[in-house]
Amino acid sequence: MTQRVLVLGAGGYVGRHVVAALRHCGWATPVPVLRRPGSAGEGGLVLDATDASALAAALRNVDAVVNCVAGSPATIQAGAQALRNAMASHGSAIRLVHFSSMAVYGPAIGRVDETAPMAEGLGGYAGAKVAAERLLAEFGDAIMLRPGCIYGRGSPQWSVRIERLLRAGRIGDLGAAGDGCSNLVHIDDVVQAVLAALRRSSAGASRIFNLAMPAAPTWNDYFVAYARCLGAVPVPRISQRRLACEGRILAPLLKIGEIILRGEGARLPPPIPPSLLRLWAQDIRLDAAAATDQLAMRWLPLAEGLTRAATAHSQKGSPCD
Amino acid sequence: MIIEAAAVPSETTLTADVCIVGGGAVGISLALALLEAGVDVLLLESGNDAQDAATQDLYAGTVADERLHSPPDRYRQRRFGGSTTIWGGRCMPFDPIDFQPRDFIAHSGWPIDYRDVLPFYPEANRLCEAGDFAYTVETAFPQPVRELIAGLPADSAFSSNTLERFSCPTDFGKRYRQRLAQGDARVVLGANVGTMYLDPAGRRLRALDVRTLGGNRFRVQARRYVLAAGGLETARLLLASPGASGRGIGNAHDVVGRYYMCHLAGTIGTLDLTPAASVWHGYEISDDGVYCRRRLALRPAVQQRLRVGNFIARLHHPRLTDPAHRTGVLSLLCLAGPFIPYEYAKRLTGGEPATWRTWLTHAGNVLSDIPGITAFLWHWLRHRTLAERKFPSVVVYPRAPRYSLDFHAEQEPNPDSRVTLEHGSADALGMPRLRVDWRHTRQDVRTVQAALAVLAHDVAEAGLGRFLYDPAGVEHEMIRYGAYGGHHIGTARMGADPRSSVVDANCRVHEVDNLYVAGSAVFPTSSQANPTLTAVALALRLAAHLSRQRAWSASRWQARNFRRQEGR
Repeated sequence: MTQRVLVLGAGGYVGRHVVAALRHCGWATPVPVLRRPGSAGEGGLVLDATDASALAAALRNVDAVVNCVAGSPATIQAGAQALRNAMASHGSAIRLVHFSSMAVYGPAIGRVDETAPMAEGLGGYAGAKVAAERLLAEFGDAIMLRPGCIYGRGSPQWSVRIERLLRAGRIGDLGAAGDGCSNLVHIDDVVQAVLAALRRSSAGASRIFNLAMPAAPTWNDYFVAYARCLGAVPVPRISQRRLACEGRILAPLLKIGEIILRGEGARLPPPIPPSLLRLWAQDIRLDAAAATDQLAMRWLPLAEGLTRAATAHSQKGSPCD
Repeated sequence: MIIEAAAVPSETTLTADVCIVGGGAVGISLALALLEAGVDVLLLESGNDAQDAATQDLYAGTVADERLHSPPDRYRQRRFGGSTTIWGGRCMPFDPIDFQPRDFIAHSGWPIDYRDVLPFYPEANRLCEAGDFAYTVETAFPQPVRELIAGLPADSAFSSNTLERFSCPTDFGKRYRQRLAQGDARVVLGANVGTMYLDPAGRRLRALDVRTLGGNRFRVQARRYVLAAGGLETARLLLASPGASGRGIGNAHDVVGRYYMCHLAGTIGTLDLTPAASVWHGYEISDDGVYCRRRLALRPAVQQRLRVGNFIARLHHPRLTDPAHRTGVLSLLCLAGPFIPYEYAKRLTGGEPATWRTWLTHAGNVLSDIPGITAFLWHWLRHRTLAERKFPSVVVYPRAPRYSLDFHAEQEPNPDSRVTLEHGSADALGMPRLRVDWRHTRQDVRTVQAALAVLAHDVAEAGLGRFLYDPAGVEHEMIRYGAYGGHHIGTARMGADPRSSVVDANCRVHEVDNLYVAGSAVFPTSSQANPTLTAVALALRLAAHLSRQRAWSASRWQARNFRRQEGR
């Protein structure tokens, strides 16, 4: 029997890949949900994911939901609230796979598995992710995925942005500022985890899964490996002084520029805000052993992941080895 | 966690699984590796983050001949990060031949092989921030790079495809402070180790006496101890405690402090390479952003044939102090001598008294080359002063392809070259000061003489030019500035026989079951290579050994520790 799977946030990076994978898996039919009419495709819906009644209607015709809603903290939280209300009004249990994030662990360092508590008092994106997970955790059939940093072809944050920064020589070997563990996870692995979570019998032991490749590289190692892959060599050493300027001076200017130019279609260089610098230095290491065991994950090695990422969007298409 | 020794409650005891003495390249690398393996580590460092005159003075000592060895408080730094706070960053591994017994090098041969150290070199390279463990042009560069001397025949006694790679140079204290502060290791700053106490049977170290310059005093008890205080200080610490023999810990057979080696280095002759198609003695930058440089290395088979030690040489600018080079940049450096740190000025500008006439000629050189000097200073400012990965050294491209030869040679182990305690002269904490009596052997002179002769022969025979030097002046040139500064090797050498070595193949002191030595003190021979990279690699090997050992005995230790705490 085909599973009908509602994919919320289907227009986003993760959502697009989840929809495509469901379409090809042979046992599911995706029902992509988009906020705006666009490439919803066959069987797709256009609705506001923060609208509980519209969601409740959509739930009536599906067997499972994957929540990939991204956006501002307010959108994330409102989306989770609406989904909670819609699910509560739904008659029977329905499998939910919710995209949480490693951000819920806040400033934790060291090895972190799913038993570690979510951090309290976080604001912004991390705070919204904690709130969303709390709102949805009560549903017995919900599975929470807490991915680290998702890279892969077209990944806006951890591949495309990094590539632009590397090509501009703005990052490279960051010294102590890049010693944090990257907790990278390839988009193909993320999608595999979603499929496994959807097919898992509800009697499974764990409901929360960290997603990160085992022995993930440090940010420095990732940057150096990726730059070599892209041919952006020699990889520069970036001084702490320069990184401080990026965070304190350049990032606010770029943010202001982005606000002024919004809608003009102009593309500014990506900023490196202090929050990003903190992440690159934060030595949190996601323990994804539960996903390895229970979702049967076979993680893509970095070299292979980089090849897939780089050949897709580098001009030269240089192979990485 | 980073703790001030002054804040440790007086007369208490800190406990740990492994206690490391010394927070330099070796101690920090060891701590990081043990931390990663989940071992409970306590690192004692005498200094603090910044240099402090009173702490540095604890290093002061005497030398038998001031011309042959710099004062013991030079070329080493008693502070967090150790001497990596001043090092030049040159990294290269030892060669397989260095580990082999050679009948023409007295006391040569290690109890371990090159292959025993090899697995640890890549991580050592990472910690030193010297990029990939790739030390030939073929492995380090995907594309061909400039030849050192174009046309150097493949059957020459010297290869030119091996590289030296350069660390930032990384100050291990600054670089890894955060990792140690965040991790479970405890780093105690301002903690000076005094007496080391053995148990009554004399086989196990029971406790260390720790003192601060401010007068605080406490003890450290650990299951295992590692001395990583550098080649000079490790010998001093061992000798300063009586041990079972009464002659110093590990010193029952009077080996501690002996076989003291540095390297033999100097700048000699004129290598005129006018006929060569091209010469490149500058740096290349590898894809991972590291400065790399080719060198002339005496091939192992030739070392065997000539029966000499290991030897490498680099093309170098002419001697700075002689204004006949007529190069503005070199004259400027010469005039700037008083502003260059002692450790670097010594070999750059030291040695010869300047007359007002040479001074004026230097000034003339400077004035006649303002554009060259401006370009040099601009490059220096951008790529040295302001850069975190620093351009490693002064490279001057001469107008004519005439160079001097900068060599760095292995020193033969010699029991009469040694460091001892100066009884009757103590530092502020009552520790006897060190006396250094560094010596070289006839074989050391032969190594340099033979290598230079074969180089001169090869260059001439290949039609690449001429190497002119005074063979009779080789010994004078190789000890012009004395022992090469900062390389303190062999004072607690590794070996199978307790009568001729201090530690075993696992770096454990023969006499003591739970005391280890990490660092260049354990090297039985000195190689052509600068010691830091290999010292770090051996520290990582020791970390692996200590972690493995922990696997089978940790439970026992925990049980004992638990009982002790209950008993309080």
